[in-house]
Amino acid sequence: MRKRAIGEAGWGWTTMAAIVGFIYFFPVLFMILTAFRSRMDTLATPPKWFFSPTLENFYHIFYRSTAGSTEYFATGFHMYFFNSIYIAGVSVLLALIIGTLAAYGFSRYPLRGNDTYLFIILTTRMLPPIIVIIPIFLIFRLTGLAGSYTGIILLYTCFNLPFSIWMMKSFFDELNTEIEDAARMDGSSERSVFFGICIPQVKAGLAATSVFALILTWNEFLFALLLTGKGTRTMPNAMARTIGGEINVDYGLLAAMICFFLVPILLITYVLQNQLLRGVTFGTIKK
Amino acid sequence: MSTIEIQNLTKVYGDLTAVNQADLKVDSNEVLCLLGPSGCGKTTTLRMIAGLEPQTSGEIIINNNNVNLMSTRQRNIAMAFQFYALYPSLTVSENLANPLFADNLSQDHIDKKIVEIAEILQLQDILNRKPHQLAEGEKQRVAVGRAIIRDPQCFLFDEPLSRLDVQLREKMRSEIKEVLSNLKKATVIVTHDQLEALTMATKIAVMKDGFIEQISTPHDIFAKPKNTFVAGFIGTPQMNLVSANLEKQNNENYIFKVFDQLIEIKIETSSKLSDNSNYTLGIRPRSFEVESEKSEHNIAGEIDLIENMGAERLLHMKTTSASIRAVLSRSLNLNIGDKIFLLPKEKQVHLFGNDGKAIN
Repeated sequence: MRKRAIGEAGWGWTTMAAIVGFIYFFPVLFMILTAFRSRMDTLATPPKWFFSPTLENFYHIFYRSTAGSTEYFATGFHMYFFNSIYIAGVSVLLALIIGTLAAYGFSRYPLRGNDTYLFIILTTRMLPPIIVIIPIFLIFRLTGLAGSYTGIILLYTCFNLPFSIWMMKSFFDELNTEIEDAARMDGSSERSVFFGICIPQVKAGLAATSVFALILTWNEFLFALLLTGKGTRTMPNAMARTIGGEINVDYGLLAAMICFFLVPILLITYVLQNQLLRGVTFGTIKK
Repeated sequence: MSTIEIQNLTKVYGDLTAVNQADLKVDSNEVLCLLGPSGCGKTTTLRMIAGLEPQTSGEIIINNNNVNLMSTRQRNIAMAFQFYALYPSLTVSENLANPLFADNLSQDHIDKKIVEIAEILQLQDILNRKPHQLAEGEKQRVAVGRAIIRDPQCFLFDEPLSRLDVQLREKMRSEIKEVLSNLKKATVIVTHDQLEALTMATKIAVMKDGFIEQISTPHDIFAKPKNTFVAGFIGTPQMNLVSANLEKQNNENYIFKVFDQLIEIKIETSSKLSDNSNYTLGIRPRSFEVESEKSEHNIAGEIDLIENMGAERLLHMKTTSASIRAVLSRSLNLNIGDKIFLLPKEKQVHLFGNDGKAIN
């Protein structure tokens, strides 16, 4: 398979693509290397390409000493890691479920003024988050949602909904409704038309939507900074907190954290990559 | 017994009346073709009969039961769709079996049914394939198979042959016709292809802008069109519809002024025609004979264009004001620019009043 692909593209183009790919990948590579460097090697100028790798940074993610002291204490990093997975996972799942149902409704049972509703849903994403942060912060304080899992999960769900509705609607719009009619004629209920006929056909769309939503949520910083508490803090904030203070920026530690941070997203994207490709090219290929 | 009847069926979408007070009746053993140009409401009518689209008003009666309030499934109808609507993830035999699942039949019974249908439609070799591995004609046969497997009360076909190429279409047309004639059920076929309608139907309903213009047998719809729309729509090449002024009448002989020429035509009619008023004459391109010189019965003109149609040739004859199409044998030695005289064959001239309606 790979051989044929190279044959078709020609060596020149393949090399070119490899170079461009490497340029894109370089920051990630440099970061991974940094995670394995000792503090001295990290700060060396010019950067040291050959060094004796150490797992010191990874150890320091979980156990760290204050400057000057030799006593190590647990950082609770595993909790931030769990928080990120839990909050992003649940909110993406919720957004996907609600979004898919809503999209199906918008696509199959249009209301009077359907497009207006869709447009209004999208307007919430037209403002930069920083503008809405103050009212949201006040709402959270009044309702007591600040610092709770429920609060941040709800917020991220709302945050992802417009995107998942629009995305899933376009996938439902592409389907041939005759198949649904045929199923109705065969005696399927509306529920089994949705679950048995439509959902299997938009699997690729679900995969694409969930990966995009997951990446957005996983990397979200601003809302998490202001609306999570100590117990619900997510990874991006935990990472930010290592910057500054008496030890300045510990690049090695940060890089090691980012390595951890990348793993879940990479895994999910890798598992779903075939679906993802079909998802983003959906409708461009003649059925 | 299996019948379909619709009374006063109307469908309104916003400002658009897609189907306007349609009435029709299909008896068992009858195949009715809904024929009309795109957007005339024929598919909407079919979908309302199937229960896939609720009607705005009117009654749908299947087997003498009013099914207005019944769901699609309760109506017990089978439908074959234009794009076949095969379930993409299921094999051919699973596709065929799907309509049977709701009936709670035993697996043995289902298997037996599939074998039976596969034999009728020659699907034996492709039962384990998925829809995307099938050719268009095979997909079409599977779609028909899925419709007939359940022994429903009646059948609906939505443009069943529109996606096939010409040769396959001809083959499938006779195959479907054969299958349908063995089933002896009321069937409605939607099509925009008149040849399909004329060959497959026992009755044709011509629709235009939501109205049913005429319901008749294929023969009558061709030989006795009720109005100028049906006359122009049915038959290829299209019927010549020329406006004519009645100058004089003498028993059954009427003298019309057509394209500044006075022509005497024999018409048998019980209606009283009035002098000096406008009518439309409908003459099919194949209803002409060529004469060598001008007489009071023929129309004179000059050949403008000749199209080869295989066995015959289609001539466009230019007169002083309009053009007339005539289909003539290729054995006649005619060239562009020749002056010819076309004689309408006796009893093959249709007469329409000013309102477009046929005068008998």
